[in-house]
Amino acid sequence: MVKNDNDFFKKLLATFKIEAHEHINAMSSGLIELEKYPAFDRQAQITETIFREAHSLKGAARSVSITEIEAICQSLESVFSALKSQELPVSVGLLDILHQAVDNLKTLLPSIERERTADEKSRVAATTKALQAILTGTTGDQGPVASGQGPDAREPTTDHRPLTSDYRPLPTDTVRISTSRLESLLLQTEELLSVKQATTHLVTELRGFNASLTEWEKEWNKFPPHVRMVRQSLEGKNCHDQDKTNSHLARLLEFLDWNESHFKSLESRFTALTKTAVQDSHVLGGVVNNLLQDMRKASILPLSSLLEIFPKFVRDLSRDQGKDAEMVIQGQEIEIDRRILEEMKVPLMHLVRNCIDHGIEKPEERKRREKSHRGTVTVAISQTKSSSIDISICDDGAGVDVAKVREVALRRGIISQEEAERLDKQASLALLYQSGISTSPIITDISGRGLGLAIVQEKAERLGGTVSVETEHGVGTTFRLSLPLTLATFRGIVVRAGESLFVLPTANVERVLSVNKEEIKTVENRETIQLDGQVLSLVRLTEVLDLSLQYPAADTTDTLPVVVLASTDKRLAFLVDEVVDEQEVLVKSLGKQLSRVRNIVGASVLATGKVVPVLNVSDLMKSAVKVSAAPVRITVAKKAAVELKSILVVEDSITARSLLKNILEATGYNVKTAVDGIDAFTALKTERFDLVVSDVDMPRMNGFDLTAKIRADRKLAELPVVLVTALDSREHRERGVEVGANAYIVKSSFNQSNLLEVIRRLI
Amino acid sequence: MAETHRPMQDSQVVLEQGLMITEAEKKEVLNARAKALAREPDTQEKPQDFLKIVEFTLANEIYGIESPYVREVYLMKELTPLPCTPPFVLGITNVRGKIISVIDIKKFFDLPETGLGDRDRIIIVEAGEIELGILADALHGVRHIPVEDIQPSLPTLTGIREEYLRCVTNDRRVILDMNKLLTDTRIVVHEEVF
Repeated sequence: MVKNDNDFFKKLLATFKIEAHEHINAMSSGLIELEKYPAFDRQAQITETIFREAHSLKGAARSVSITEIEAICQSLESVFSALKSQELPVSVGLLDILHQAVDNLKTLLPSIERERTADEKSRVAATTKALQAILTGTTGDQGPVASGQGPDAREPTTDHRPLTSDYRPLPTDTVRISTSRLESLLLQTEELLSVKQATTHLVTELRGFNASLTEWEKEWNKFPPHVRMVRQSLEGKNCHDQDKTNSHLARLLEFLDWNESHFKSLESRFTALTKTAVQDSHVLGGVVNNLLQDMRKASILPLSSLLEIFPKFVRDLSRDQGKDAEMVIQGQEIEIDRRILEEMKVPLMHLVRNCIDHGIEKPEERKRREKSHRGTVTVAISQTKSSSIDISICDDGAGVDVAKVREVALRRGIISQEEAERLDKQASLALLYQSGISTSPIITDISGRGLGLAIVQEKAERLGGTVSVETEHGVGTTFRLSLPLTLATFRGIVVRAGESLFVLPTANVERVLSVNKEEIKTVENRETIQLDGQVLSLVRLTEVLDLSLQYPAADTTDTLPVVVLASTDKRLAFLVDEVVDEQEVLVKSLGKQLSRVRNIVGASVLATGKVVPVLNVSDLMKSAVKVSAAPVRITVAKKAAVELKSILVVEDSITARSLLKNILEATGYNVKTAVDGIDAFTALKTERFDLVVSDVDMPRMNGFDLTAKIRADRKLAELPVVLVTALDSREHRERGVEVGANAYIVKSSFNQSNLLEVIRRLI
Repeated sequence: MAETHRPMQDSQVVLEQGLMITEAEKKEVLNARAKALAREPDTQEKPQDFLKIVEFTLANEIYGIESPYVREVYLMKELTPLPCTPPFVLGITNVRGKIISVIDIKKFFDLPETGLGDRDRIIIVEAGEIELGILADALHGVRHIPVEDIQPSLPTLTGIREEYLRCVTNDRRVILDMNKLLTDTRIVVHEEVF
């Protein structure tokens, strides 16, 4: 029983957490709105709301005996009571304290299962004290209220009854259902989709069977004259010498008669069966479609459920940076699939963060530019089509400096000098989506790492949406996200590469064609084909997907199936082994363990029940460039073998670096150097090395981390790594082994021959 | 033993009598059965002194997983290999509409392979946000191991890196540390294309 009680209490706490979150978020939103100094009526309304939220939370906290939350709520209630009766004016200082109090409530939530720590307790005490100080500070005549027993003294004035009677609408037509349960229902419903497709498949098979039966009937109908002739000649003759043959013939005729009638009855039964199957398939199709549609509606939520936290987020973030910004949200009542909402949470946060960090200027700067003191970040949602919505995230800040973007891209080697000069504004902005591009001069914990927009784009595309950016220098930037309302099915082309099937989203497939072998021309060691007068690079899907091992020499046909894929502005032809089919597919996530797999976005269940990976076209394009750039031809590889082995020396000390370089070059290796792990990893990505010799202690990324990074990278995983260090400790040696270093040489025992011998052994 | 023999002898008698049974006899038999069924199972020790372990074999090696981590044992209809993933990821499979990744723990532990058969049984384990299927040859069901029969791991016994070993039983069965395994960043595949 004790265990059951415990379980029950755990459940109760979980429920309380959900409820508390709602109350706290409502309070935060209310406070944010109060900050905008709304009209008197509205202000009274908000004060009333927050007062009630605090009161409800207090009651809930008391029922699970979390006294700290109860205490803060009690004090909040008192303050809002004073605000309500206008004994207290709304001021910036006051709102700050209230915000802190609400924040404090939030920080208490995650740890409600355990005892509060002394630190938490003292914070709670400080908060309640600050809240009570507000009351004493403003209304001197209410001294006793603030002195310890104060909140309790106020208790009778807060009448309980009206709170419960008019505040919450009676929840008669709504039920709470856990998202996991809903998710499971949705998954099972989606599974019906493959049943539906399987039935359609079956019907097609049955129809084919029927057709061949009809064919049999046609042939059979040609026969009766012959049978009649045989029968007549048999009856006409009375010769006994042929008795034996005749009796055989008679039996054969008998069998033919039986055969005909039996087959005809089979045929009619089969026709009836097919008809039923067709009808059933139609009915099932309709039911499944409706069920899925309703099921998807069941998991639809208004965007406000996600955006609720944003005003506070913007407020806190801009305060931290000494900026002043407010958030305006339009159209938050529009509803969208919960799964899309969840997926988009981080990208949206990122875009908003971008607005504050890169967009909104500091107040003095804004003043200089004759802009209003307070910056605005607008999130506007509108439903453009029946199946999609647009979310625009807009700031009235500095805008993106296009020239700077080009400059960074050039410095990072993403574009060449000529390209930089040629790029127009839109193309330059497209560079923002590339990893590693950030115009931020320093890397902060907020942004500047240049990864964010790449992630935003990937998420949006994975959900079947798009992202675009518009900017005007000095005026502001707008990011526009277009997203589907539900995780809809899309058309996909099923292709075979080697022995495996893959789905390519039809939207990215420009053309499916078969190419004559003679049409494939090799230009600069790369295979190409011509299409509409344009030369396209041709790559083998098996090679791009690293399936090349099982690729057999299927050189029996003269024509090869080719799929032309297009993504953003690139076109590329992919050689596949077979184009199987085009069908409706639903992309499913691969789960958290396979968080991101190269070239693959997800998986889909085909009509046959087979699970097939869905390919990521924009990844394929990037991978294809690498494949065709690598020396794939065996002759080239052989030539490389004769060349000098190249070694990357990673060392932050210039003395040690040049020493190592000299030793190794003297022995006949090609040597390049890097100053730390990050520098080294970049070098490894752009150039091929046979071995890495690395120091352990280095700034930015040390030797252990570099080794771990090399091991985690598929392309580099096999690269031998020798760690050279002054640290002769067992832990370090073990650490070196653990991260996957091939050798660990301690500098004290480090003489030339030792190192050189190790290297010779490895390459 | 005597108890199990008696009903057999009874039935022998019944058979000899040509299946003739009186109401009274029937009642007696039923009573006896009811009594036997109503008896509480023998419990020698308190349950909290046991570790509940799901045991399975993979390539002649027996492993144990603490049962709270085991969500279900599933018979795969089909396994789809996934290119561009590390060797320990065997592929993906469809479990009631949800895609589950399947891993080979031997490969994850860098243990030598001992030939792959047509295995189709997976143990779906879950911890935190990670949920995946572990390939298994056969399942030995659930075993209650007394806590005193368990000792800290001896990595030399199995070759599995110490960090993933929860403990070893007296009969040298290895119990894997699922929490460590499933929260290890190395088990998560996250690779971008630049």
